[in-house]
Amino acid sequence: MGLVVDVGSCTECKRCMIACSLVRSGSVRLGSSRIEIQPDWPELPEIRVCRFEDCEGHPCVGSCPASAIGESDGLILIDAEGCIGCGACEAVCPYDAIRIQEEKALKCDLCGGDPACVVECVTGALRDGEVAE
Amino acid sequence: MTGSMFDRILRIDVGKRQSSLWTVPDEVRAYLGGLGYGVKILSDEVDPRGDPLSPDNKLLLTVGPLTGTSAPMHAQTCLVTKSPLTGTILNSYAGGFLGPEIKFCGLDGIVVEGAAEEWTLLLIDDETVRFEPAEAIVGKTTEEAEAYLKATYGADYRTMSIGPAGERAVAMAGAFSETRAFGRGGAGAVLGSKRIKAIGVRGSCGVATADPEAFRMLVAETMGVLRSARADEFGLLGIFSKYGTGGGMPLVDGRGALPTKNHTYGSFEGVDRIDGPFYEENLYTRRIACFGCPVHCGRLHRFAGTDGRALWGRGPEYETMFAFGSNLLNGDADALAEANRLAELYGVDSLTTGVTIAWALEMAEAGKLSEPGLDLRFGDADAVLGLLHRICTREGIGDMLARGPREAALELGNDSIGSAMQVKNAGFAAWMPRRMKGTGLAYATSNRGACHKRAPIGAEISGALDMDSYEGKAAVLIEVQNTVNAIFTLVSCRFHEFVTDHDVYPELVAAASGCKVSWDEMAALGERIWNLEKLFNLKAGLTRDDDVLPAKCLEPVLGESSQSAVIEADRFEEMLDEYYSLRGWDAEGIPRDEKLEELGIAAYTLGSRATREAGATEEESG
Repeated sequence: MGLVVDVGSCTECKRCMIACSLVRSGSVRLGSSRIEIQPDWPELPEIRVCRFEDCEGHPCVGSCPASAIGESDGLILIDAEGCIGCGACEAVCPYDAIRIQEEKALKCDLCGGDPACVVECVTGALRDGEVAE
Repeated sequence: MTGSMFDRILRIDVGKRQSSLWTVPDEVRAYLGGLGYGVKILSDEVDPRGDPLSPDNKLLLTVGPLTGTSAPMHAQTCLVTKSPLTGTILNSYAGGFLGPEIKFCGLDGIVVEGAAEEWTLLLIDDETVRFEPAEAIVGKTTEEAEAYLKATYGADYRTMSIGPAGERAVAMAGAFSETRAFGRGGAGAVLGSKRIKAIGVRGSCGVATADPEAFRMLVAETMGVLRSARADEFGLLGIFSKYGTGGGMPLVDGRGALPTKNHTYGSFEGVDRIDGPFYEENLYTRRIACFGCPVHCGRLHRFAGTDGRALWGRGPEYETMFAFGSNLLNGDADALAEANRLAELYGVDSLTTGVTIAWALEMAEAGKLSEPGLDLRFGDADAVLGLLHRICTREGIGDMLARGPREAALELGNDSIGSAMQVKNAGFAAWMPRRMKGTGLAYATSNRGACHKRAPIGAEISGALDMDSYEGKAAVLIEVQNTVNAIFTLVSCRFHEFVTDHDVYPELVAAASGCKVSWDEMAALGERIWNLEKLFNLKAGLTRDDDVLPAKCLEPVLGESSQSAVIEADRFEEMLDEYYSLRGWDAEGIPRDEKLEELGIAAYTLGSRATREAGATEEESG
């Protein structure tokens, strides 16, 4: 289970961020999105989001001194209660997909398996891992 | 209930280095947002007779009830000011991300007035404004100004900036916002007159909707329509999605309506070396979308500069492909890209700048104009790039050309005005009025000069309306003008309306902001705004004589596919009379008091002719 990311198809429209922020905050507030599109014109953007199964070794899991990151139902997730906001996971994430906000580490949780962002992506830059396989 | 409107506008006086929050009063709220707010506020606060480059002119950036929401194709920002190019009220639009960011500041708009003593950067964080020095980037390009602002103050600012052309008051200077531009009308020169080199906007607020569930359903429905439209390879949005806005160029060429060699011909033999499909295959590297837009008509491209360097740029858009391509007999996509890039770096509108260059080349070939160091001929890339440099630096002949096509022609004299393809000093867009009579009427009557955004182009180019006929075009045009003004209160993308049932707009507005309005009321608002703009222009001194096409339109278009199309002067005047009459205006194009009362704007009347003339005389003697 996971996200298939094809950065070459991304047009930087940010519908994924809009959808994610609506899920997180109930309003369009891009800062609350757990996926971030970072432009680098004329090059391709960076898509900052957890790759789940496609991330080799899951360095965030081992980095966490509070053992608050682990696998649950096939997803790598952060346990908010256990998180001490130290930022160790943020530092090791190869995809810049983790942010610390209000002393908690935040990242994509794939909306529990039915990601809101994928539905919005018209170019296929984001696809559902299971469908793709 | 919290909706998508904040009812707050940020007012910034750059002369006094002060800012304040203004609660939008009910009489302004009745204008919905965007263009409505801009036109209403400018009409109330700026003297139409004033100098557009004086501190008294104001520049408004406004957004609407759908901006910053998940509704697709509402990324644009509306800019309203008095134009230094046309002397009319101006509305100009840029897509990208600036508009949503204004919304994320918890604002429905920004009003800038006054003039700074030193070059300034405006940094807006929510409702806080900082005035920072800009000396370090005076004389620098739009791109350098943007990069400096982001590097110095934060990469997360969304920006707009001016280049050397705006600093030097070039009449067609634009304001550039990252990958998009406020092209039309010289807004860059207005910013320059206020010594604002760049503006950065960064917001932290969320945009909520009044009825989230209803809004979510409506957006899902709209996205469904747009998904189908972008997948339809024969539909316009499908073509724009696949090839950018230049994708329709072969169609226009085939209809003999592609302005070529300063509107001498209606088709260009080199079209397939500069159009959207050519760029898609050879130069475009990336598809770029505005905020939340599934159509992604924007493009980035790489090209070889005339000096052999590998360069990149944004666009070019269809209007630029005409302005720096067919209309200059330039069939070299790299040279076109370089001109596009130069225009962007200097910060000028490629459209009216290209139209001015086309006029200059025609005058040069007729022996009426020359410039040391340049061989001014159509199809010569060095001539085009040389004139572009001179316009933007106001060197040599460029100083005259920098005033726009009509003003340059008036200065040159020698029967050159008839070949300046403009209305109110704004260049003709990439559609030939002789081939498309309704579009000709649209150019003539537009409140911002030679405007194609409110023209029956789709109906004429597709053949749904007989393109060469004058019959019934006035009524069709009026509906288009009112409709587009209505959707511009939401700052909808013009392309959105191509595939959207009008009744969807009030539904979206109600679910987003809680404001209940019917489409008929929105269309009536569009008409009210059109009349307010017209009144502003009349008060500024424009007359029926400004609603006129240049004399070249009376000569046949050359080339087989254009079928020797002409504008017949008497038929055109009849069509203009019909237009005025259907608008409820008198024979001089002055809105009748009954019409103003019907629209609820009686207070804006010009009064009787006698009163006006007495006022004008008093003004002159005083």
